[in-house]
Amino acid sequence: MKPDLRNNRDFIAGLLFIVLGGLAVVLARDYPLGSTMRMGPGYFPTVLGGILILFGVTVLLRGVRSGDQVKGVWGWKPLALIALSIVLFGFLLDRVGMIPATVVTLFAAAAAGREFRFKEVLLLAVVMSAFCVAVFSYGLKLPYPLIGGYY
Amino acid sequence: MELFHNLVFGFGVAFSLQNLAYCFVGVALGTLIGVLPGVGPLVTIAMLFPITFHLPAVPAIIMLAGIFYGAQYGGSTTSILVNLPGETASAVTCIDGYQMARQGRAGPALATAALASFFAGCVGTLLIALAGPTLGEWALKFGAAEYTSLMLMALVASAVMTQGDAVKGLALVVLGLLVGVVGVDVNSGMARYSFGFPELVDGIGFTVVAVGLFAVAEIVANLESREAREVYAGKVTGLMPTARDIRDAAWPTVRGTALGACFGVLPGTGPALSSFATYMLEKKLARDPSRFGRGAIEGVAAPEAANNAAAQTAFIPMLTLGIPASPIMALMLAALTLQGIAAGPQVMLDKPDLFWGLVASMWIGNLLLVVLNLPLVGLWVKLLAVPYRWLFPSIILFCCIGNYSVSNNPFDLYLCAIIGVLGYVLVKLECEPAPLLLGYVLGPLLEENLRRALLIARGDPTVFFTRPISLAFMIAAVLIFVVMVVPARATRRRT
Amino acid sequence: MQNSPIMRFLALALLACAAPSALAQAPYPVKPIRFLVGFPPGGSNDIVARAIAPKLSEYLGQQVVVDNRGGANTAIATQLMVNSPPDGYTILMNAPGHTTNPALIKLGFDSINDFAFITLLGKAPNLLVVHPSFPPKSVQELIALSKKRPGDVNYGSSGIGTSVHLSAELFQYMSGIKWTHIAYRGGGPGLVALLSGEVSLYFGNFPTVIRQARAGRLRALAATGLKRSAAAPDIPTVAESGVPGYEVSTWWGLSAPAKTPPAILARLHKETVSALNSPDVRSRLEELGAEIIASSPAQYADFIRRDMAKWAKVIKAAGIKSR
Repeated sequence: MKPDLRNNRDFIAGLLFIVLGGLAVVLARDYPLGSTMRMGPGYFPTVLGGILILFGVTVLLRGVRSGDQVKGVWGWKPLALIALSIVLFGFLLDRVGMIPATVVTLFAAAAAGREFRFKEVLLLAVVMSAFCVAVFSYGLKLPYPLIGGYY
Repeated sequence: MELFHNLVFGFGVAFSLQNLAYCFVGVALGTLIGVLPGVGPLVTIAMLFPITFHLPAVPAIIMLAGIFYGAQYGGSTTSILVNLPGETASAVTCIDGYQMARQGRAGPALATAALASFFAGCVGTLLIALAGPTLGEWALKFGAAEYTSLMLMALVASAVMTQGDAVKGLALVVLGLLVGVVGVDVNSGMARYSFGFPELVDGIGFTVVAVGLFAVAEIVANLESREAREVYAGKVTGLMPTARDIRDAAWPTVRGTALGACFGVLPGTGPALSSFATYMLEKKLARDPSRFGRGAIEGVAAPEAANNAAAQTAFIPMLTLGIPASPIMALMLAALTLQGIAAGPQVMLDKPDLFWGLVASMWIGNLLLVVLNLPLVGLWVKLLAVPYRWLFPSIILFCCIGNYSVSNNPFDLYLCAIIGVLGYVLVKLECEPAPLLLGYVLGPLLEENLRRALLIARGDPTVFFTRPISLAFMIAAVLIFVVMVVPARATRRRT
Repeated sequence: MQNSPIMRFLALALLACAAPSALAQAPYPVKPIRFLVGFPPGGSNDIVARAIAPKLSEYLGQQVVVDNRGGANTAIATQLMVNSPPDGYTILMNAPGHTTNPALIKLGFDSINDFAFITLLGKAPNLLVVHPSFPPKSVQELIALSKKRPGDVNYGSSGIGTSVHLSAELFQYMSGIKWTHIAYRGGGPGLVALLSGEVSLYFGNFPTVIRQARAGRLRALAATGLKRSAAAPDIPTVAESGVPGYEVSTWWGLSAPAKTPPAILARLHKETVSALNSPDVRSRLEELGAEIIASSPAQYADFIRRDMAKWAKVIKAAGIKSR
């Protein structure tokens, strides 16, 4: 049963809902509840969290009963790389400018793909940088530093 | 007939070379930025604000208006092509539109979206001309109790949105409601779930959520396995909708237009709620609801008609009552104010060239949009033939820029990455993002209005049933619930 | 001798050494200036900034770029400016949030000492408006009615901590009455609520509300400034109608990081004042109901200090909870 549960689709989903619902309720403890007719800021989130926990339990039990597995594999590497590429863009834009940020993001994202051909990605980076500068900085006049602190 | 004279006069104004040119610029620009996620009409209109100082009022407002409803057109393009909502309202179009693209039917999807939007635009402008002030007054009858009942009804109906498992769908709606709670509580001023981050004090932005849940999750899902997965069907089956498509899409378009026109006028709701509502309605009315979510053309036509109709009627409160029903309308109102024009009940009389010229140019703008977009369908479809390994990094890049452009804050990108992770997990667990998005959009409105209604009624819950419009929505909610539960019991809903 | 390559090289080398110090007194500005605005596009704050920016760009000779960083009632934009290098290339549009936030939320900066105040651009009053069906026709009648039925009157606001909300709190505080507060998300929904009669009274921003009042859809009881507004001289002030000493205004100001060189500050001050006095900027701001002040830096700093003290008292007395 154990390996079954670890990839059991609804079991994990149910667990996720229970955890999130629980978090919601726990964090809302600091907000005054009020009464049903005069709700405080804590009322709605607490009730929602509770409902989510209930749904979570239902889904979890159903998962245990049906045993349906998650289809396919978990793509942790592409997920991490894509997430990293987004984070990097945010981190770099203000610090080194849009063009370097664009290049880094494209490389990081492309690394998440199945094939990584360096020359192609480089070409893509150059073309995309040019396109973005043309459209965003010149076309829409968005005030983003292009390289370093220069506009 | 006075209406006829006014319209002729309006067309006279709209057909001047200057006004035509600015109309074209507006809709072209609007379409372009609508395609890009995050970079929306608000940012663009704000950017072009100083230009309006140097223009006379009529071409200025024509151009700004063109940007606004043009963006609704553009928003559906990326929704269909790459599962990336360019505008809030386009999120619903992703559900079936993207599936159609994957089946090689991107062309018909895009074309249908354009045509449905055109129909809605024509009807919308006609409505403004015929019944502008009346509709504006109707919008004023909506108070907190009415909004609450409306949201409640929408939430009940949202169970209809879910493809498979109703319990999971409802859980996702609740999760969406919780995501919507993040931020300042209007009624008490308290910041909830902000973890001390000032960026979270104003809530989690739509772009962040939509990009993370839809685009990022989809891309990672496409990359997860080592073998190449054909993202888009190799064979593209024609660029234009077939006769069958048009027949299927006809009534949904009409219904979408009607719903969109009604919701567009209501301050605070607008295109997003309209598109969600029509989708749920169409799914309920369809002979074979299981087709929805797998590339049903009604799932593209109805929401697109709805959001464009809403985009047109959204001008009514601004023009006829001088009420800024949304930040974009506030900017337009400001543009008018700075020109010395007082938008409001008098504007139809004081400045008929502005009012009727704008109405006429909105129709022209819709025509221009169809003329612009239909030929582009072929181009967009070719774009899908680009190798995925070039396409997806570019999509991610546009998502990043788009997200950043909303509030110029890197925090939004970090948040987007986190939500992207959550979105991917949800996709793997076969939980669709659409119900979550719905909860996220409706949640704040529901809670805010519920508490407000109770506050105004001094804690008396019967207020939801004694006010006629509110009562109507409550009855509808109950009916929907009954209709949903009874057949479900009879046929044992299974995953 | 002058044209020998060695002399030329030496001259260049000397020039290169002198360059850094020359740059320190270099003409300012040499690159675009970032004009931080604490609200998203569309609000009155943003509009004022955009009304001034083009003219300021012209006078300074470099692009002044409006950078919207909305959030936490200007706190995010303000924090950003405080963290920026004090080289004159980042300036901030201050709004009433600057003087009310310290009493409401925890801030990451010192609201007085981290700033070089440049000028108070202008002020605009709010208008006390009521729905036509609401009986009182003057401030006196309003106060009388409110005393008879405490907590019965509903008033709307554009959000907790906004100038709209605090105007009402100050009014209640100074006249000893109590209303029930119904908060909305922003000025648009607040105004709609008033027009539909969902709330009876509202202290609205001048430009949006005056139009409705003139059209008869709302009744304007009084203006919240100290003097009558030039754009509406027929409307009495709250102070002269029964609450002496009452004054609330929406205001806009310009500031830079505290350590910005005085020469740059002086230049910014000079050009901003010129921009404010130019006819087209003036007329645009007056359309918004603004009274142009263009104060000196010292007057502005003094204003900030007084305003902060005033609101700290009112907010505490009204029991508005901090976040």
